[in-house]
Amino acid sequence: MKYHVPQALVAGHEQTGRGLFFLALNAPQITQAAVPGQFLHIRCGKGDDPLLRRPISICRVDKEKGNVMLWYQVVGKGTSLLSQVRRGDCLDIVGPLGRGFEPVTAGKTVFLVGGGVGSAPLVFLGNELAPEKEVVAFFGGASEEMLLMPCLTRLENCEYATDDGSFGYPGTVIGLLEEQMKGKMPDILYACGPQGMLREVVRIAEENSIPLQVSLEARMACGVGACLGCSFPRSKKSGGGWARVCQDGPVFWDWEVAWDDGEEQ
Amino acid sequence: MTAKNSEMEPLLGVEIAGIRMKNPVMTASGTFGFGEAYTDFFELAELGAVVIKGVTPEPRIGNPPPRLAETSAGMLNSIGLENPGVEKVLGEYLPSLEEVGTSVIVNIAGSTVEDYCLVAERLSASKVVKGLEVNISCPNVKAGGIAFGSKPEMAAQVIRAVKKHTSLPLIAKLSPNVTDITEMALAVEEAGASAVSLINTLLGMAIDVRTRKPKLKNVMGGLSGPAVRPVAVRMVWQVSQVLKVPVIGMGGIATAEDALEFILAGATAVAVGTGQFVNPRCCPEIIAGIKAYCEENEVSAVAELVGAAWKEEARG
Repeated sequence: MKYHVPQALVAGHEQTGRGLFFLALNAPQITQAAVPGQFLHIRCGKGDDPLLRRPISICRVDKEKGNVMLWYQVVGKGTSLLSQVRRGDCLDIVGPLGRGFEPVTAGKTVFLVGGGVGSAPLVFLGNELAPEKEVVAFFGGASEEMLLMPCLTRLENCEYATDDGSFGYPGTVIGLLEEQMKGKMPDILYACGPQGMLREVVRIAEENSIPLQVSLEARMACGVGACLGCSFPRSKKSGGGWARVCQDGPVFWDWEVAWDDGEEQ
Repeated sequence: MTAKNSEMEPLLGVEIAGIRMKNPVMTASGTFGFGEAYTDFFELAELGAVVIKGVTPEPRIGNPPPRLAETSAGMLNSIGLENPGVEKVLGEYLPSLEEVGTSVIVNIAGSTVEDYCLVAERLSASKVVKGLEVNISCPNVKAGGIAFGSKPEMAAQVIRAVKKHTSLPLIAKLSPNVTDITEMALAVEEAGASAVSLINTLLGMAIDVRTRKPKLKNVMGGLSGPAVRPVAVRMVWQVSQVLKVPVIGMGGIATAEDALEFILAGATAVAVGTGQFVNPRCCPEIIAGIKAYCEENEVSAVAELVGAAWKEEARG
């Protein structure tokens, strides 16, 4: 079930780094319905400009308080306006939208691989899986202030990588992941982040025959599968043509995506 | 007859091309999928009619992404009539709309006159379909679409040909990308269209100054949203004064006030497209808003408002 909540109360909003914000919205029905990997479609302004909603992945839910939490980055006009809302304001939201991560029952060890704000949906997934599985999260960012720390992820096993070496492993999250996989192999990989990073994770998954699910990003208009605007190429194996990132995704198995035809981001 | 008596509800029903609608609010083709996308937000039965996505004889893959670009108070799209083809629409999508409680109108498109005829003939076999909207105005398809929509004689040719292949009422969806919209409207009316829809999107483009490339992979696309509304209102105003058949107005409608602007300009019904992307409950809110306007202004039937602005002006 998808809900339109025209007046969701902003229960908290804090800056976590350069252009990065952690936002809590009160929408109990959405917290009950949401599964990891799904997103909210948020109206960032009040008027006609920017016109369209912005899709933002759910980072965590607090079912008791009825709060849904997002970790997002300011990238343009919409998210810039969003960053100005204050606790006590209301936001017009639609959600939860999209197909989330598919929980896999076989195997014990789960690796999460997140780049930048792409870590957000994996935080939700990690929290859902942690009671049953051994979850290790690998999150990368440009520098320490671009990472989401355990006080907000609530994940026990978070390994970090920074490009400038200011925190954790010095280098990319891919380097960190490959390093760790020399010691321990996961039974499944889940990834979200920039396309370059995702392609590397796809390569690692293929080389080691590990199942992988990825969460993709796209510009969207409707967010509910009507407008066919957010198309991404499907692999021949999954039927070819286009998948709608908003409705058929944003989460896909790696083999469902025709990586070579995708737009560079 | 006025609505002074509080127990008397204003009449919202209208008739378009012989299709009786409980209210004048419809969905715009291409913005509503096959009717399934918005069912969590409202009942389709609340709508005056549902217009489903452009259908062609064969499946069409559409244009490569990026297909969307947001602009000031609007958006550009270059979907390119992606659809599963008429047989799949008949077999898989239309049956689920059988007991939907509102009239189903299907938008049809093609690259040749024969394409339109074939789709029309196949859809006539469905008892679900109450009318066909003939899309002679898609800006995103090179062959066909806009080619038929920019020359009056070609537009008329499509309508005349399709009419021979179906007994369903035809609504011609016109392009705003022409010099004289009345000329196009008169041509399709003469050819047998029972109504006209206007406007389709305005041809536009946007460039990313950082990459120095067009934002759409297809370079150009169709502009929709509040930015196009004044153009659409003007065209409805012009066309409704010269046609005998009714006009369905669309282009940037997001509120009841927007819808009323079109009705006052001469639209018998209105369609909502991009507005739905912004507010998924846009249609039911517009219907409620039109009703409230009628009650507040003691209008007994919404049909009385059609073209009231130019009728008023003619009176001086």
